[in-house]
Amino acid sequence: MTVGRGAATWGQRLVALTWKELLQLWRDVPLLLFLIYSFSLSVLVSGAGITMQLTNAELLVHDEDQSPSSRELIHRFQPPYFALVGAISDPREGLRQLDEGRAMVVLDIPPRFHEALMSGERTTIQLLVDTTNAPQGLSAAAYTVRIAASFGTETALASAGLSGAKASMPLVSSAHRVWFNPTQDERWFQSISHLLRMITLFAVLLPAAALVREKERGTVEQLLVSPVSPFQIMFSKVLAMSGVILLATALALYGVLHPVFHVPMKGSAALFFLLTALHVFTTAGFGLVAATLAKNQAQVAMMALFVVGPMLLLSGITSPFESMPQWVQAIMTLSPLRYYIDITYGVMLKGAGLDLLWKPVGAMLLLGGTLFGSGMWRFRRQFQ
Amino acid sequence: MALKEWKETTRDRLFLLLAFLLPALWLVVFGYGLNLDVEDIPFAVLDRDQSEFSREYLQRFIQSRYFSFRGYAHDERTLDRLLTETKIRAAIIVPERFQEQLIAGEAATVQTLLDGTFPLHTDIAKGYVIAINQAFTEDRLIDFFRRSRGLTQEQAGVLVRPLSVEVRYLYNEEVRSTWSMVPALVMFTLMLASPLLTALGVVREKETGSIYNIYSSTVSRAEFLTGKLLPYILISLVNVCVLWLMAVGLFQVPFKGYFLLFFFAAVLFVCCTTGIGLLISLLVQTQMAALIITMVVAMIPTILFSGLLVPVASLTRGAKVQAHLFPAMYFTNIVRGSFLKGVGADVLWIDLLALAIFAAAMGGLTYHLFTKRPKT
Amino acid sequence: MMSPPASSADEVVRVSGFVKRYKQHCAVNGLDFTVQRGEIYGLIGPDGAGKSSVLKTIAGVLGYEEGSVEVFGTLLDSERAAEQVKRRIGFLPQGLGLNLYPELSVEENIDFFAKLRLVPEADLQARKARLLGITRLDRFRTRLMKQLSGGMKQKLGLICTLIHEPELAILDEPTTGVDPVSRRDFWAILAEWQAVKGMTALVSTAYMDEAVRFHRLSFLSHGRVLASGRPADVHSLVPGLVVTFESTPQLEAVARLKRRYTQVESLGPSLHVFTPEQDAEAAVAGIRQTLDDLPAAHLRTDEPELEDVVVALLLKEQDGQTTVSDRSGQSALSANMPQFDAPAVEAKELIRDFGSFRAVDRVSFEMKQGEIFGLLGANGAGKTTVIKMLTGIVPPTGGAGRVAGADMRTASGAIKERIGYMSQAFSLYLDLTVIENIRLFADIYGLARRQAQQRMEWIVEMAGLSGYVNDRTGRLPMGVRQRLALGCALVHSPRVLFLDEPTSGVDPIGRRRFWELLSRLAREEGVAILITTHYLSEAEHCDRLALMYAGRIVAEGTPGELKTEVEREVGQLLELTVDKPGAALAQVAAAGFTGAALFGTKIHVLSRDPSGDEARLREVLAQVGMTVTGVRPRMLSLEDVFVSRVMALEQASHKEGSR
Repeated sequence: MTVGRGAATWGQRLVALTWKELLQLWRDVPLLLFLIYSFSLSVLVSGAGITMQLTNAELLVHDEDQSPSSRELIHRFQPPYFALVGAISDPREGLRQLDEGRAMVVLDIPPRFHEALMSGERTTIQLLVDTTNAPQGLSAAAYTVRIAASFGTETALASAGLSGAKASMPLVSSAHRVWFNPTQDERWFQSISHLLRMITLFAVLLPAAALVREKERGTVEQLLVSPVSPFQIMFSKVLAMSGVILLATALALYGVLHPVFHVPMKGSAALFFLLTALHVFTTAGFGLVAATLAKNQAQVAMMALFVVGPMLLLSGITSPFESMPQWVQAIMTLSPLRYYIDITYGVMLKGAGLDLLWKPVGAMLLLGGTLFGSGMWRFRRQFQ
Repeated sequence: MALKEWKETTRDRLFLLLAFLLPALWLVVFGYGLNLDVEDIPFAVLDRDQSEFSREYLQRFIQSRYFSFRGYAHDERTLDRLLTETKIRAAIIVPERFQEQLIAGEAATVQTLLDGTFPLHTDIAKGYVIAINQAFTEDRLIDFFRRSRGLTQEQAGVLVRPLSVEVRYLYNEEVRSTWSMVPALVMFTLMLASPLLTALGVVREKETGSIYNIYSSTVSRAEFLTGKLLPYILISLVNVCVLWLMAVGLFQVPFKGYFLLFFFAAVLFVCCTTGIGLLISLLVQTQMAALIITMVVAMIPTILFSGLLVPVASLTRGAKVQAHLFPAMYFTNIVRGSFLKGVGADVLWIDLLALAIFAAAMGGLTYHLFTKRPKT
Repeated sequence: MMSPPASSADEVVRVSGFVKRYKQHCAVNGLDFTVQRGEIYGLIGPDGAGKSSVLKTIAGVLGYEEGSVEVFGTLLDSERAAEQVKRRIGFLPQGLGLNLYPELSVEENIDFFAKLRLVPEADLQARKARLLGITRLDRFRTRLMKQLSGGMKQKLGLICTLIHEPELAILDEPTTGVDPVSRRDFWAILAEWQAVKGMTALVSTAYMDEAVRFHRLSFLSHGRVLASGRPADVHSLVPGLVVTFESTPQLEAVARLKRRYTQVESLGPSLHVFTPEQDAEAAVAGIRQTLDDLPAAHLRTDEPELEDVVVALLLKEQDGQTTVSDRSGQSALSANMPQFDAPAVEAKELIRDFGSFRAVDRVSFEMKQGEIFGLLGANGAGKTTVIKMLTGIVPPTGGAGRVAGADMRTASGAIKERIGYMSQAFSLYLDLTVIENIRLFADIYGLARRQAQQRMEWIVEMAGLSGYVNDRTGRLPMGVRQRLALGCALVHSPRVLFLDEPTSGVDPIGRRRFWELLSRLAREEGVAILITTHYLSEAEHCDRLALMYAGRIVAEGTPGELKTEVEREVGQLLELTVDKPGAALAQVAAAGFTGAALFGTKIHVLSRDPSGDEARLREVLAQVGMTVTGVRPRMLSLEDVFVSRVMALEQASHKEGSR
């Protein structure tokens, strides 16, 4: 047998096995429907429904001054950040509403507020913040301080007769330019994040489930006595599932992200899909290792949960990676998602090319190779 | 019945290990690891002025714990590249003649470039920038008024900063995100682990066919359902206690409320969640389906719509409805209320009631759906 | 529950006009039968005949569409009604030990079922001891259920079902996949409970040779009853004789006989023909006439077995439907087969350890080309491990072997190209169609397009799959699936074929066709076939057999040799027909006939001195006023051989263990 013929046979086997996986998935209607749902409706709902920026923080006002200034100040607490839910006359009422969780912030404006401001005296407003959700509480406080400070400075300067002469004062204004998402449209972020979550989840589960299913049903023995190598058995699954996930990703991208949320694709779409395939391949390695360790579907799913849970929450889509403790960052170098996040945002929003992304890509290749290799090793060993 | 289920569950080492270890481990990993505070934002600087003022301005950023200084750049193109490569999340460009303008009493503009890919983080970073910038400006203004109007430091200060805000952080006085996360994580782990364990337990029996023992015996439906649920409820309640101890002991989260009330609510909640698991297990035939559906039904709404990360108030209308249909939100209220707020039944009765109704509905539904003589 | 009214006392179950549908598919269509108190009633039929649906409904765990089902005089029309009778019923669902809890020990399993059924503690202890005693499980009380072998699991399942002494035991295929020895234990419990406690039992089975153990039975096919009544009644539905003889060349003889007779089987060297003639001479004459100039040696005529009858019935039912197509021109394929002179399989001192447990212990044997070699043994005897070693799934711990001319340890790649394998569990992709499965394996073996197309056509034709080509494999009947699996294993024209319990759960017709295929492969194409099975009637088809026990080969030879050997050791088999078999059995056993066993209404006895013993038996039974209506010698079946061998070995090892 010549080398060329050998390679052709090898390829023929791989194609046959991959085609088989695709057919099997195609016949599994509930799973297919679930897949489509996850990459369309589910992305739509979480993209549109959630915002983690401070939104509609319930604001209660205890205004003891009832003056033009106090009203002006209250007026500056605007949606979308704050939602004024009412005015109260008794401070204890405010505490009660905070306890019950019906208000998040209580603003207390003292008597003589207007008078003090006009006469250039220092005055203090009080803010009670519910910090059971710490980041949100902090955010609300920060906004309030900002609103109050600019209000204070403006009124004070106005009363000192300096309002028109801003240019003649040493004011440092900070001009922000937000790159990559100029309007800070959170739907971009949420929908992309959700897409990443789904890709990762399916990349772990699908090939692992397929492999365990073969083990459970005994079909793997039939393959093992035929001249296919363990590599072909495992790789064909990854190949098939990558194809399916890429298709689903395309569906999410061109069916939801693009038309509904107007998420741009600044870089090369081909590059994005290529790297998505790499991510799926790497992540699938986790699933395959788990599948070789597990005896049944339940165990696989448990192990997958064990891996996927931290991966989803700690890789940097839910919270900023930079502020994560060192040890978490160290562990997460093992998470392909951590690199894939950089890659996705890099290609989609920043328009980065391979020249800029070679580092995460290289890391992922290394990780994927190692995982796949150890999965293969376990798979081989299992039958000995 | 329950005894057998208990024996069997405890025999499966892996299962038991996961049942107890998973929640505890998750609490540790997420409690320590999941830091929602935005800190150490990597940034770079392009200082075109190279003056005393510009250095002082930048120093304020470099010393802030919110920012992590990554170096000076020499032109804007370098900043571009660093941002695109995600080496930095923010860049500050101090213009030429910065010091000159300020001393001359003229306004100056500092450019800040922010990476907008993570809008929440961008927003918070923007807040930090504004705050630091404002502090610097106020100092300059005070300086200016002292010199131009001959005011004292004090007088100038009042003029520039007439209004101060006294913020009182309630419930979580030091505003630690662990304090707010850990109690919610107690909810999260319970919400994920207990329905999963229950669903697997029942479907496994269905898949192997041993459920026919029950079908063909004289055990009544109610006996079966409670027998099936009891071990998982027990495991979950042990987990509640373990998690509570960890939260108070390990994470030093204060517990200001009433333990009995909390425990009672936990019992109700666990009844709800195991009920969900049981319900799913009655509807599907295979373990894989049970797993996927449980994971989707339990995980996604719990992460997104329970108040764990995002307050229910800031959800859109549709999402809000979904949040109210799920027991997770009510229990989050109770957990945070009990840990941090120290409120009692007088405040939490609505949530308790909602949980009780949910638990009862689950019970009724499963009782109705479970038939010992199925059609197929 | 002393004595309910007489009319309902006799009828434990009454099923009439029963219809069960699953969505559009009609599983059972108009079924009627009644079960009398104290009888063992059998439901026989191929996979998918609707047996399980009927049993589940009677056990009150499944609803139904039409007709009526009465159990103990209660009409099961609602869950409440079903609840009322469950106290008096024991139900063993289908599947090896699937109703048990793997994480509990033998004793805990029994205790759990007892608690579920509220059995008083004192009764529980007594019954447990008795049941564990009969089944010889008492040594394993503390062992976890998941560590038991298949046969033990099933025995434990039966104990758990009987622990509350139900008046009616409903057992769904309790013996499928169980080795013959465990199967005998199983029947021993049932027989004792029926005799001593007056229990009624409703049992389904796919093993025809078990059918004679029933008092009455119904034969189901496609949701309808084909025949019912006492085994003898069913027998008389299709009168005829079975003629066994040897003829050469065998293939030519088969071809000629097939033109006239519907049932022609080749069992090793001999042929087995079912003739409708009831007169022996006429039957033989007919055969000779059909054979024409071919010889017919060692002619013998026998009463047909129930299986022959059932196959005849099924064939009658299928008349007009498509049958396996006429094959012609297949010999061209064998022309390009390279011929080896070396043995097809050669195993030398094969050893395999799993941890400290030795699963296979110095197994050696040789297989020639074109030979069908049967590997027999109880569950867990090591048969599957031997096959896995030879196919290269499991590497051996020690020993050597050559398969299809290649060394098993160094040339596993070459071996894989030359062998075909069918594993114990059905191992094709259920969600692919027939043609997709074949194509997949053709591609895996690297067949070129044109060649693959040829092979595919050959397989479809050979295995009689033409009507199913585009059907989803999961929806095919078991017999068709097995033929497809065989086809896939043959796609690359292997030299050696390994078949691990290929016929579990396949109906008799399917099994016959399957064997027909196998003998053609062996005879025409020279393929060597290694097969394991629990159906010992099937093992008769093999050219040579090896019996494995505890990892070792303990006997080897042709079926005939094995039988004569055992006959020399334990004696001939006598079949007694008596009027009160239950009571008579006790008498016979008391008279010192240790191997006595009840087969339906007949008693089987082993005897070294047939004529002397016959007289003694008549005498013993006459003393207690029972009449013996008939005693006749029977050929030992392979099952008898197997059971007597394994029992002897088990006793030996038990003694060794207790010493």
